[in-house]
Amino acid sequence: MALIVIIEDNPDNARLAARLLRAADHKVIVAEDGELGLTTVFETHPDLVLIDMGLPDIDGQTVSALMRQQDDLKRTPLIAFTAWPEDTAHSMAKAYGCDGVITKPINTRTFAEQVGAFLQPVE
Amino acid sequence: MAPKTGIPPKTGPLEDRVSAPASQFDFERLAAIYNQARVDYIVPMPMNAKRMAEYVRSYDIDLEASVVSLNAHGQETGVGMLGLRHDEDGLKRGWITRLGVIPERRGHKVGQFLMDALLTQARDRGCALIQLEVIVGNAPAYQLFRKLGFEDTRELLVIRRPPGAPEPNAEFDAAIVQTLAEDEVIACLRARGPGASWVEETRSLVNAGNLRGLSLTLPSGEQGWVVFQRTAFQLTHFVLSPGVSLDVSAALLYRIHQEFPMQDTKVENIPLTDSLWAVYQRMGYLEAFRRTEMVLRW
Repeated sequence: MALIVIIEDNPDNARLAARLLRAADHKVIVAEDGELGLTTVFETHPDLVLIDMGLPDIDGQTVSALMRQQDDLKRTPLIAFTAWPEDTAHSMAKAYGCDGVITKPINTRTFAEQVGAFLQPVE
Repeated sequence: MAPKTGIPPKTGPLEDRVSAPASQFDFERLAAIYNQARVDYIVPMPMNAKRMAEYVRSYDIDLEASVVSLNAHGQETGVGMLGLRHDEDGLKRGWITRLGVIPERRGHKVGQFLMDALLTQARDRGCALIQLEVIVGNAPAYQLFRKLGFEDTRELLVIRRPPGAPEPNAEFDAAIVQTLAEDEVIACLRARGPGASWVEETRSLVNAGNLRGLSLTLPSGEQGWVVFQRTAFQLTHFVLSPGVSLDVSAALLYRIHQEFPMQDTKVENIPLTDSLWAVYQRMGYLEAFRRTEMVLRW
């Protein structure tokens, strides 16, 4: 079981993603904007962060960059969660320190597995 | 949710469509309607109430002239906003922005209804020119604007640079750099030529505030300046002195990113054909998306 923070302002997307990840036996915390997301990540040091690139206060790229500036969060798997065109999503995600991209709409059958692939194995 | 005042909304061309001035809704509600309308957009740019209020102030949005559309059940179906500005030569211009229709309430020509309402508001207020931008790839919106008589003017780039110090450059390091005082920042902005997009016009920058400026002299004697906005999390609204070499422009960007290596940067609406785009790329900027700027003249 991993602790996953989802930073996503769209309640439908957040609920669906959280439900699928909880069903896969993960503990999930949802933060609805960038500021709350940063606070949650700084306080909980999750095993993985799933971040929407479009957030209503601080956008996802900036939040990703702020996370990566913290020494203790440099290696936390960070996944961009976006509906952007694939090329843009991948280049932006890479530039801002994300480890990968999961595009919306999510595939409910494979989503938990996609996220799980980014989790670091327990030593 | 009904408007917060009891003012009856205007009836639209169809009985089940009406519009109400956006001024009848608070910023929280306007942001919520806008976010719902853009939820499936190519590049969703949601806003909270604070950002919506800043947007309205920075870009001279007239909420009396901006509209929220409602259906027969009183449910909001979409939103469109109108910015208004007077140029020094007396030309009154309008700017249509934040236009969107809530996905589950599309298919009833609500987009056209909103546009008709905004164009009527602009015409009634004496605008001779209306401008807007549409994200490249948003074919339905683009087709609607063409149908209404808008013509393309140019393609604009929205670019980003993640935090990080630039690669060392001995020539740029040897430049003499001075911070500009507030009055010097304003003087630089007044020296700009025309041609900025609405959000990058001097009026937008002055409204937004938190402006900073640097002047720079290279060892060769070449000089230039840059004005930009620094917010808590981002550097944005860059204006580089016109008519200087690309080296001076690169040196100015270099010195900004050297001074603020931890800050993320977003620069909006660089014309695709502007030679500065190559300078931005040299400094590590990436294209996020493109907009087509369009104009309608009466």
